[in-house]
Amino acid sequence: MPEPDRGPWYQRGIRALQILSIVLMWAFLGGVVTWMVNVVGVSRAQGDALTASVGISMVAVPVYTLVASVLTYVYFGLRRGRRPEK
Amino acid sequence: MHRFEPSSTQDETLFRPIERTTRKFYLTVAVLVAIILFAVIMYLRQMMLGLTVTGMMQPVTWGFYIVNFVFFIGISHAGTLISAILRITQAEWRRPITRMAEVITAIVLAIGGLHPIIDLGRPDRVANVFLYGRLQSPLLWDVTSISAYFAASTVYLFLPLIPDVALLRERGKKHRWLYEFLSWGWQGTPQQWKVLHRAINIMMIVVVPIAVSVHTVISYIFAMTLQSGWHSTIFGPYFVVGAIFSGIAALFIAMIAFRSAFRLQAYLKLVHFQQLAKLMLAMAVLWGYFTFCEYLTGFYGGEPAEMKTLLYKVSGRYAPLFWTMIVCNFAIPVALLSYKKFRTIPSILISSFAVLIGMWLERLIIVVPSLENPRMPFPTHIYVPTLTEISIFAGGLALFALGFIVFAKFFPIVSVWEIQEGRALGKAETEERIESYLPEEQPSHA
Repeated sequence: MPEPDRGPWYQRGIRALQILSIVLMWAFLGGVVTWMVNVVGVSRAQGDALTASVGISMVAVPVYTLVASVLTYVYFGLRRGRRPEK
Repeated sequence: MHRFEPSSTQDETLFRPIERTTRKFYLTVAVLVAIILFAVIMYLRQMMLGLTVTGMMQPVTWGFYIVNFVFFIGISHAGTLISAILRITQAEWRRPITRMAEVITAIVLAIGGLHPIIDLGRPDRVANVFLYGRLQSPLLWDVTSISAYFAASTVYLFLPLIPDVALLRERGKKHRWLYEFLSWGWQGTPQQWKVLHRAINIMMIVVVPIAVSVHTVISYIFAMTLQSGWHSTIFGPYFVVGAIFSGIAALFIAMIAFRSAFRLQAYLKLVHFQQLAKLMLAMAVLWGYFTFCEYLTGFYGGEPAEMKTLLYKVSGRYAPLFWTMIVCNFAIPVALLSYKKFRTIPSILISSFAVLIGMWLERLIIVVPSLENPRMPFPTHIYVPTLTEISIFAGGLALFALGFIVFAKFFPIVSVWEIQEGRALGKAETEERIESYLPEEQPSHA
């Protein structure tokens, strides 16, 4: 499946956007983790049911991490799997 | 090792809607945008005047918005869950269906997720969920599970799209930069196929428990309270079954609409509808069973508050809606789909519309009557939706249709590479699999 050749700057721009999309996914994960840490902190400060907060966080964070990891694996896997450039 | 390479010059029918735009397309988009704009205006009016413009009032604090939230999130189950189950079970007839199913999930989840914010009246208070949220509240479980499902479903939609995006890039007729960006350097090498298949396999396993958890958790916002008609242990599976049921109905309507609009008769054959109709029939029977269990338990217990709500539904003010729900969700699909000769596309379409109406009524009948019959001696309130709520509901439906149409303008609505893979490899693989199920032939001792 050949790719069109559109010049090095164009290709670099496309690649930068692709990497940005991966970075955004990890930033989203960072946001989720920050939120979870915050609500666990609020729960502790208020003397609320801390175990519920910790339990939900322990389920949610690995799910987001897995999704971000799969995307990253696919991106870099596809880059590595390309034919060598002539 | 992957032994085939998809071709961008075959299956022209699937590329045609992307590369050619008809007047009908612009007309449809204009009508949908007009409906959405009207809904936006009504919402802005609600923001200025407050929730008094809705039919909600104490003690009925949840109305159309929460009904539609549960309804839209339910429809989203069609997609990723059905697609994942069909992939896991290696159902060969899945190939022209999975893409449409996955698109439904991504679009409807986004629309459904907006509804609790619309219901807030003061949308700025969403920030409180992030600043002071209490994760022991089922409402926060919803936020967590819906956003996880949305992230997983979007990735699950994107991964099988990559080879098709590369085909569009190769054709080079429109939006080349977009297809180059989204194809992630795809060249179709054996190593790339291996990576892609491995990732799809991981995601199809992961999305199943997430999808089930989403609607279970949505049922918990009702079931975890002591409100009559809500406090039920079977609400989790009952909601999941209802969600898959309504999801299949929405998928059928999408399939029939695109089949007709894009002339996909060669791809979406009667056999695809008949196979999926069997699943819808099974869901209709399961839904009937759960409904029977739910109402019988409430009736047999005879607890006064529970009985008051139950009778309010089955023989009171909500009786016409309740019995319409039974007819739409059980009688019509069971009557039309039980016999193979009745399993035609028009009867499947009628069943699908009936199921969507019935499932929407079910959500309404769960949410509102319980609130109109509080346990405490509050003065009750009869909920009647206003034009604001109805127009925002219409806006949600229009947004769903528009999202689908826009997606189909940029990407193939039927997975091109999966169709071509089915032609090239599917038959041999299926034969090989069937052979592996059977015992080897024994020599006869005649």
